Amino acid sequence: MTDQMLRAPAEVKYAEELDWLESIDDGPKPFSWRLSPRMVRLFVLGSEPSDGLDREVAQKWFGDRSFVERSIVTLASDRGLLLLGDPGTGKSWLAELLSAAISRNSTLVVQGTAGTTEDHIKYSWNVSMVIAKGQSREAMIPSPIMTAMETGAIGRFEELTRSTSDVQDALISILSEKYVSIPELDDDNTVFAQPGFSIIATANSRDKGVNDLSSALKRRFNFVRIPVVTSKRSESEIVRFRTTELLRRHDIELDVPPTLLDVLLQSFTDLRAAAASATSDDEKLESALSTAEQIGVLEDAILHSHFFGDRTLRAQTLAGSLVGSLARRSPEDLSILNKFWHGVVEPRSRKDGGEWAGFLEGGKQAIDTLS
Amino acid sequence: MTAPDRFGALRDQLREAAAAFADAPDGVSGILSDMVDDVDHALSEPLEIFPVCHHSPSSALAMARRLREKRPDVVYLELCEDMAPLLTELRNCRLPVALQAFAGKMAEGGPGGAGPYSVVAPITEASAEYQAIAYALDTPGVELVLVDRPVDTVFTSEVPAAGASGGEAADGGSGAGPAAATAAPEAGGTEEDAALHGDAVGVEIGDLRPRFAELEAHLLHHGKVRHWSEWWDQYVEQPLADADYATYRQVMVLIGSLFRRLQPADAARVARDEDRERHMWTRIREHLGATGTDPERAVYVCGAFHAASRVAEVGTAAPDTGFEVRPRTETEWLYGLIPSSHSAIEAQFGLAPGSVSIASATWEKRVSAGGAVPFRLKGQKGGRGRSGGARGKAAPAAGSPVPDKLSGFLAQPPARGVLDEEELLGWCVDIVRLARRNGYAASTADAIAVYETSVLLAGMRDRSRPTPYDFQDAAVTCIEKDTVPGRRDVRRLCEILLGGDRVGEVGYDAMPPLARDVFDRLAPLGISPSKRGVQRVLIDLRADPHLEPCSRLLWRLRRLLPGGTVRPIMGALELGERSTQESWDVSLGRDQRGVIELGYEGVSVEQVLELRLRRAVADPRATAATALAAVEDSLLYLDAPRLTEELGARAVELLAAERTVDDAPEVLRRFRRLLAHYRAVRPELPRWCASFVTEGYAHYCTLLPTAFTDEDAGIRQVAAMLGFLFTLENVALSLGCDRTQLELAVKQAHPRDPAKVALGWAARTQLGLMPRAELRARSAELLDNPLVVPAFPKYLSGFVQALSPIPSLAPFVVEVMSDAFARLPDPVLLPWLPTLITALREHAAELVPVLVREAGRTFPGTLPALDAWVPPWTSAAGAGVGAGAGVGTSGLGTALGIDGGTPGLDGGAFAGGPVADLLAAHPAATDGVAALLGVEGTWAVPGPPPPGTAAAALVTRHPEAATAAATLLP
Repeated sequence: MTDQMLRAPAEVKYAEELDWLESIDDGPKPFSWRLSPRMVRLFVLGSEPSDGLDREVAQKWFGDRSFVERSIVTLASDRGLLLLGDPGTGKSWLAELLSAAISRNSTLVVQGTAGTTEDHIKYSWNVSMVIAKGQSREAMIPSPIMTAMETGAIGRFEELTRSTSDVQDALISILSEKYVSIPELDDDNTVFAQPGFSIIATANSRDKGVNDLSSALKRRFNFVRIPVVTSKRSESEIVRFRTTELLRRHDIELDVPPTLLDVLLQSFTDLRAAAASATSDDEKLESALSTAEQIGVLEDAILHSHFFGDRTLRAQTLAGSLVGSLARRSPEDLSILNKFWHGVVEPRSRKDGGEWAGFLEGGKQAIDTLS
Repeated sequence: MTAPDRFGALRDQLREAAAAFADAPDGVSGILSDMVDDVDHALSEPLEIFPVCHHSPSSALAMARRLREKRPDVVYLELCEDMAPLLTELRNCRLPVALQAFAGKMAEGGPGGAGPYSVVAPITEASAEYQAIAYALDTPGVELVLVDRPVDTVFTSEVPAAGASGGEAADGGSGAGPAAATAAPEAGGTEEDAALHGDAVGVEIGDLRPRFAELEAHLLHHGKVRHWSEWWDQYVEQPLADADYATYRQVMVLIGSLFRRLQPADAARVARDEDRERHMWTRIREHLGATGTDPERAVYVCGAFHAASRVAEVGTAAPDTGFEVRPRTETEWLYGLIPSSHSAIEAQFGLAPGSVSIASATWEKRVSAGGAVPFRLKGQKGGRGRSGGARGKAAPAAGSPVPDKLSGFLAQPPARGVLDEEELLGWCVDIVRLARRNGYAASTADAIAVYETSVLLAGMRDRSRPTPYDFQDAAVTCIEKDTVPGRRDVRRLCEILLGGDRVGEVGYDAMPPLARDVFDRLAPLGISPSKRGVQRVLIDLRADPHLEPCSRLLWRLRRLLPGGTVRPIMGALELGERSTQESWDVSLGRDQRGVIELGYEGVSVEQVLELRLRRAVADPRATAATALAAVEDSLLYLDAPRLTEELGARAVELLAAERTVDDAPEVLRRFRRLLAHYRAVRPELPRWCASFVTEGYAHYCTLLPTAFTDEDAGIRQVAAMLGFLFTLENVALSLGCDRTQLELAVKQAHPRDPAKVALGWAARTQLGLMPRAELRARSAELLDNPLVVPAFPKYLSGFVQALSPIPSLAPFVVEVMSDAFARLPDPVLLPWLPTLITALREHAAELVPVLVREAGRTFPGTLPALDAWVPPWTSAAGAGVGAGAGVGTSGLGTALGIDGGTPGLDGGAFAGGPVADLLAAHPAATDGVAALLGVEGTWAVPGPPPPGTAAAALVTRHPEAATAAATLLP
């Protein structure tokens, strides 16, 4: 089944591992959870030799252990979980992993947008069937959240703060009363949440102020703030992990030289430092320079090398991808990159040599092309 | 004496474990077995070694229990031996306080660098050392001996070659103990209390922490905890909470040995630690030998790290290796107590925020649960607990073998503690209340959620019950939302809740004489050392003249103490200005450290101030300006004419020795102020002042020609020199200076810089060496010459700077400036404008009022008048030519600030007006002055005031004031 999907959800991708973990799990499980909280943590953060397991469990999410623990216990409690953080910090990935581990279903997702309506989180009707047979449970189309309630699973709400306040407020009753009434029906008109139901929402901290959460809704969520990864070691782990996954997905056999990865990480570190010291928006790149963007740059370079190059990832290609991904505004972003290339990359290339020389050349060409 | 079979089974077990799990079993098994040997070695010592760890409630509890049980006659303590006299003063303080050693400078042999040097050793109530101190000081017949190296050595890095050959290190006992001087404070908390120790170097008993960053990271990672304090709490503190003494001791030595054996090969640090150990044991043996104490009746309290030491000198029966205690340097150390706080300790020693508070709360909880009866110094303030000497059972039979407790301890599963529901519930309710008070919309539902989450988190982290750290995480998860509404976030609130920061207080009796004197003298204002907050003090000197000494003292303290410890809100003390009502914010109780440290410098505030002023002027880097500042301070804060005279004399010396004129503006500013003060308060100038004028006159005359040509001397400096020479000329001449010196100096000056050229012309004009008409002609020439025009703004800058030394030049400057604006081409004028504005802005106080007043007098005040306005210098040009004498009149007008002149007055025209009328009506004074100056003048008949002048019109319109003034005059 995995073979036929462009991107398999976590529970499909790690189905075998989850089965195995379930088989050895003898810890107490809350509600209808498939794994005990400790096993969920193990699944997300990977195993250590000291865990004494027969096989190794890979780390899937990189970040502070306490964030994962706090998230898991929140889901075992009465409240929903709201993961808050900058774009690209891995909120959605963590949400997916948690729901896959807990309820083996991470696809019960509502995407919050300006166009999301209350129907998307409660239910809607199959109009033809309503005309043919009248309103009945069969004619009702439950939302992913309602399905999660009925099955005692974890429902996900992506980008909660992008949806409007009235839609957000519809969640209040779901999270507090744990049922949804269907007034259109005369009987069987209440859907009660089964034990195990909870919601993981994500919110982008850069969207703060677009649609602020009401106090009532805030009360029903526990907030876990995911910070931007600043440790170079963790970041390198993340990029490596995601890239390997990507290569596997595209069936590409291509080596990512560690030195090149270092060049990429160092460039992002330098650009972040420059952005942090900038005094106005014009002096910093529009990009948030998140880890996800690094992965995006690398992905772009890999695909380019694979399909248009000689199937070897080169520094020039990486530089081109970096410029292409980050130069969003002309001339502001381009001039920042130009300054970066001449002020930072060039001295580095002189000092360290190696991949930096190719990186310098590729970047200059890319900037020249875009200018 | 060793008992080889005591740990035999454990050793075998560890060896097997190493063989089964390690990649290199030999190395691991060696280390493990050496660790067991270390424990065995420490236990075999006849003198009971009591290993402690700092801020460990378990250590404190074990200490209290053991001391009550054993009742030793002598307690040896790992603390700088020269701090011993301070310990008795602890009873006058509220803990935490820090023992402090302070030295203004190091004697030879000490390190270089700027002083002062300060060493602090904080003492908290929940510490084992405090238990030992309290027991020893309050139990009759018990002696407390501090055995660590004196504070001197904290700052000396080099260690003399150890007497021992080091052969004993063959068994691997080459560990390095905790650094006496731990690193400088790490990023402290946000609260002010975290800075209580200032820049001091910290010394602590029982620093027990991995020295390899990797080892610590490894332990934290596998222990699934975030920081070291949490690891310690979970893996050592909790399991040892109810352990018996033998287990406690063996486990602590084992941990000490682990960190000792796994440490980086930092030779200097290892040598330092070993030197300390040799020193301590040498001192112990000396004491035992001198007093004949039975080692079994004594206890040696040291960090667990040192307990596991294997250097040759360790042990009461250690062989004589020839180790000699290093003599102390000549540095004069002063000792005292300063307040400390939990957050200051955390910041100083790099502990996690809140860890000391949590340790303190744990200690109190265990004490109240009956874990031990703690010792407490009699008369100590704050905290709980009983005082008194040791009571209890007799000591156990000496020499009874201690069984192996380690095997059992290491093998047993973690004890399943019972959830202390009451305590957790209390925390949950309290945190919600605290959160609400800090702006969070928290409710009872949150309390329930925090409770539930704490229990779940503890379960997930393999803890039998939620620790304070689990509770903190749970509270953050459930209460913290996207924003922090107030000043403190939930994590900080938890720290406050779980113990809060506790700030110590040094009692009145434990303070140095100066601090006691300060509090005595401020008692009328209600200021006392025990008042912690900021006190607002209102002083009305008219209503309560007896408060005058208090007010003076506050001003002195403000001068001496850093920051806002004593801050005037209303009121001023400046030369010639003394408020009658003052309002102060005083926080001497909270910031005791400042006052106490002042006490190291002298016995009274006045003495310290005097010393500091003397030191400031004696400094090799001192300048005349700093000496004048010291003179000013001595006048303001100390009523000591002799000191002022000395400082002034030093200022004269410094001025004469100066070879640059960089400070000239500052010297001029300060000296003018002092002169004005003296003129106002006494009939004649003090001796130093007269010398300063004559010396300054000669000095600046000498330097003037060089300064005019020297590129390094700025225009402002030269202007200030001229200011000194011109404005103090009267005084200088009356004191015997010769004006020709100045005239010659000006004549010798041949500046090239246009600004200085202009300044030189102005000086010449002032001295009468160049008539005003020539000055005007020269400036006109500059404007006419197209080659010079681009540089004209620079000339103008010179004229502007000349306003300060020669205020009478103001009309001319206005004229030149107006001309420049009228005639300079835009490409020249516009780029120069910013320079002019910045120059004027920089010296706004001196230059702008003169210029604006003059401009106001020159230009018409209304728009219609502008059409008919003719610049006075054009209309009076003819009359003005050759009428240099006009300077005097204009100068008089300017100096008096009387708006009696008319445009063109400086050109020499003499018009009537109120001033002229007054002088003409009472010619006696003017005639007298003229006779004194040797001028035979005749009285000109003033013409009628020109119609239309503003002043005349005003007087005509409102004659009342003038009439009233006239009636007053005889």
